[in-house]
Amino acid sequence: MAATADTGPAPPQAAPQKAGGLRNDPRVQMGGQLLGLAVVFAWCIFPFLWMVMVSFQGTVALRDANIFGGPFTTGNYTRVFEEGFMWNLGNSIFVALSTTVISILVASLAAYAIARLPIAYKFTILAGTLVATVFPPVSLVPPLFVAFNALGQLNTYQAMIIPYVALTLPLSIFILTTFFATIPKEMEEAAKVDGATPFQTFVRVVVPLAAPGVFAAAILVFVYAVNEYLIAFSLASGDPNVMTVTVAIATLDRVGFEEPIGTITAASTIVSIPLIIFALAAQRWIVSGLTAGGVKG
Amino acid sequence: MSKNPFLLRAVGLLAVLALVAAACGPAPDEDDEAAPDPEDTAFTWAVTGADGPTMEAVADLWNEENPEQQVELELLPPEADDQRQAMFNDQVTEAGQYDVLGLDVIWTGEFAEAGFIENLEDMRDSVEGTSIPGAIESAQHEGELYALPYSTNFGFLYYRTDLVDEPPETWEELYDTVLEVQEENPDIDGYVGQGDSYEGFVVNYLEFLWSDGGEVFDEAATESLLLEGDHAEKAITFMRDAFEEGVFAADFNTMVEDDARLAFQAGDAIFMRNWPYAYPLLAGEDEDDPTEVADDFDIAPMPAFEGAPVDTISTLGGLNNAVSTLSENQDVAREFVEWAATDDGPQEILAEMQPPPTKASIYENYEDIVPEDQAPVYEVLNLVREDARARPPVPGYNSFSLAVQEELHGVYADGDDPGPALEAVNEAAENALVEDPEDVIEEEADVDEDE
Amino acid sequence: MSDSTPQGAPGSVTEPGAPAPPEAERPRPQGEGMSERALGRAFLTPAFVVMGLLALFPIVYAAYESLFDFDFFTRTDFVGLANYVDQLTSPRFWSAVFVTIAFTVVSVTLEFIVGMIFALIMNAAFKGRNVTRAVILLPWVVPTVIAGQMWRYLFEQRPGYINEWLGLGAIDWLGSGASMFWAVVIADWWKTAPFVGLLLLAGLQTIPNEVYEAARVDGATWTQRFRNVTLPLLTPSIVVALLFRSVDALRIFDLADIMTNARLETLSVLAQRSIVRAPQPDIANTLAVLTFVMIMGIGLIFIAMMGRDVVGEPEEGS
Repeated sequence: MAATADTGPAPPQAAPQKAGGLRNDPRVQMGGQLLGLAVVFAWCIFPFLWMVMVSFQGTVALRDANIFGGPFTTGNYTRVFEEGFMWNLGNSIFVALSTTVISILVASLAAYAIARLPIAYKFTILAGTLVATVFPPVSLVPPLFVAFNALGQLNTYQAMIIPYVALTLPLSIFILTTFFATIPKEMEEAAKVDGATPFQTFVRVVVPLAAPGVFAAAILVFVYAVNEYLIAFSLASGDPNVMTVTVAIATLDRVGFEEPIGTITAASTIVSIPLIIFALAAQRWIVSGLTAGGVKG
Repeated sequence: MSKNPFLLRAVGLLAVLALVAAACGPAPDEDDEAAPDPEDTAFTWAVTGADGPTMEAVADLWNEENPEQQVELELLPPEADDQRQAMFNDQVTEAGQYDVLGLDVIWTGEFAEAGFIENLEDMRDSVEGTSIPGAIESAQHEGELYALPYSTNFGFLYYRTDLVDEPPETWEELYDTVLEVQEENPDIDGYVGQGDSYEGFVVNYLEFLWSDGGEVFDEAATESLLLEGDHAEKAITFMRDAFEEGVFAADFNTMVEDDARLAFQAGDAIFMRNWPYAYPLLAGEDEDDPTEVADDFDIAPMPAFEGAPVDTISTLGGLNNAVSTLSENQDVAREFVEWAATDDGPQEILAEMQPPPTKASIYENYEDIVPEDQAPVYEVLNLVREDARARPPVPGYNSFSLAVQEELHGVYADGDDPGPALEAVNEAAENALVEDPEDVIEEEADVDEDE
Repeated sequence: MSDSTPQGAPGSVTEPGAPAPPEAERPRPQGEGMSERALGRAFLTPAFVVMGLLALFPIVYAAYESLFDFDFFTRTDFVGLANYVDQLTSPRFWSAVFVTIAFTVVSVTLEFIVGMIFALIMNAAFKGRNVTRAVILLPWVVPTVIAGQMWRYLFEQRPGYINEWLGLGAIDWLGSGASMFWAVVIADWWKTAPFVGLLLLAGLQTIPNEVYEAARVDGATWTQRFRNVTLPLLTPSIVVALLFRSVDALRIFDLADIMTNARLETLSVLAQRSIVRAPQPDIANTLAVLTFVMIMGIGLIFIAMMGRDVVGEPEEGS
């Protein structure tokens, strides 16, 4: 019932079946596209919509498969605010932002070297890059704990930022390497002819041209850093001042075995807002990146 | 890249967002009354964040009474795995962040065996006769105290007064009652409880086992008695039949505590096995969590099997407080652990809020202490208190528990053969008694050779 | 462009021939800066210092510890490779390997297909494109831990959202067996298809319009253009997306743990069991190393595929 009611733009009536030329009929194509879009919308939205609806209804929404039944309340949001969740959100954004900037900066240097500079053992270097990302996270935590404890850095922002940078570098490096590699060599040559040093060439020519890759990597790193739980909980849950959203959600107030699904979904909905803003903004730049980089300018 | 205006703008936008977000909420320190003055902080108490407000109230009371030796409360996520992970990290890396560990009652043996917690046997006198016996039992390892009781939990039967006249006293009676009620109300579920493959299922299974007179270990915990008699098999086949016949709800096999509570609260079930926390919620304490059964439910002790040597049984839950061997503040940590176990202050806070206290005198005088709407719970707790049992605090309890979850869940929910499954659980129970299962296997091999 | 063009790209691919950005045209102050070789080393250093410090130690540590026996958390006897023999002869280990690989193959395939569709939609110019992009990203921004809880509720029989929305009756999705596997696959599919979509979208954006124009002039249909132009030029992005999705899927833990209470026993679930639930550091470390070796092996295959396209000759230029 609900599944068919609200699936975005309603597809137009299916065109009458014809024996031939069906696929080329523009109305059929249009209808097919709209139908496809409706499926995509339903697929992406429904679970998310469930979350938002539960956040406005609490446990009542768990009694009936119709998630629009109500009664609705904003009580869960009030509770989440009262528990100081916005402070945690600020922490998360700060940590994610720092992670993203550092990870992308460091990764672009490394990726440029791999894609463009004459260094030996490139295969080995790429393989070495991957090492940081293939170890089970749960096995990474104890050694990290030892290290940060020895340095007296537990329960700090850097206890999250440094591991996040290390764990996102492989992805960033791989993405950026592929993008740097697709940039025409001639543009670099032109810059060199003009007297630019290799570093200047990198900053002024290569990075802008690879903008789609840079921003795609930035989105992925940012979202990862906001959503990470295990390290945030293991290394930085002791100080409420630096606690991030995922840990805060796990420790929302509850009585006994109660699963505070209302506040959990409310908090998750709040978290998704800056993430969507960031992702949408960065995505615009993925698409406008080439233009901005000067290919058409 | 720093020249890229887009990136600068993105960073700027999010920096502003972070500031706005932070400005919307108060900094945690300003907000948190429980935060001790850092100069006087003497020790840290790490404990589950379930019932966080209760723990905060207890910590606040201690800080009020001990201004020179303040406790810093560290609330860990309610998920048991997360608590264990945090405590293991602290211990294995010898960080020693925590002085007092709030341990689930089933962890005592394991933590003691691993050398994580101090022997507190010299404090026995202060809890013997003061705390309820089951709680003391759960705080022991090899007959000695390694923790002191703090909070407890009892399971009991919630039933619908509009559908059932008298609560059933036996499992057979419950089974028949469900079928009878369902004849008139075909859509209603019978029995809900904790059936997912996790510790809650072990709790439920042990109640079935014990309420038929079965045992996991002998009294001194030297051998497994699981396969003595047919109790173990009877317990699991009863669950299987009840699940197949629809006496248990169809989703019993994926239920945890709050799934059962929500089902019962929505009026979907006749019977429920659950802890006391559900009572105020079912009664309509939280207006954002409405109830359909506010006036139509009551509670009673759990049933037992017909002809069993016991009338009722309850598996005990709860927390014990232990002193970390890494603590550099042993004296004050011990003082706190003893205070939390024996002083009226913290124990009454538990009685007024959640979960239930371990101090026996509170139960005797509950009418003066607990809020009126909680009185019926304590009435029933007084009935089940004497018969409640701790899960055996053997060092390998967790391996045993995992075996029950992994082997027996499939038997009742998917119709696996109970024979081999119980054999495997029995083996896990044997292994749970000894330090290192492999050593025993070697020793046994040696014996064989000698023969 | 020639050496960065993926193999199999049509020879007709033209150089974009765009001018260098204006900044580069301005005369630069003379000065060589660092040599390219030195620059390469300098550029690689920060990344490898950070990754080396954080990743290398845990791996070496686990590999070392896996050679010992443990009594709870105390290291006892050196046992050499005995722990590996134990695991490699354990049916339970192989069952977890099988579940993990099956999960990875199925979910990554589905995520790739849907991610590609997402990328093509996001790349297309049409009215309401911005809304569509936001919608497509929604699943990705939900923290995995929350997504797990969410799908658990969605699949549960009470009130049975999925069952009722799709009119499926009373399917016990999360109870056991194949349905539980598919439930976790669906949750992962939903959650991470946008990840693939984003990566491929970025790849699509670097394909110059001129290439399509040329193909269109040649009279290629949409399907032909997709197969002969888009796919080959997108290969590097596709390989990166598949590589990182596979690496992630091979370590699947959260969804399996939350949705099925660890009944779907993947390698990471098995490892977590011996790390946290019933600690056995010998087993835990052995499993960590075995997982590492398995994923690294699969990763190397991907890198080898990618290397040809991306890295070029190791000793070129100078």
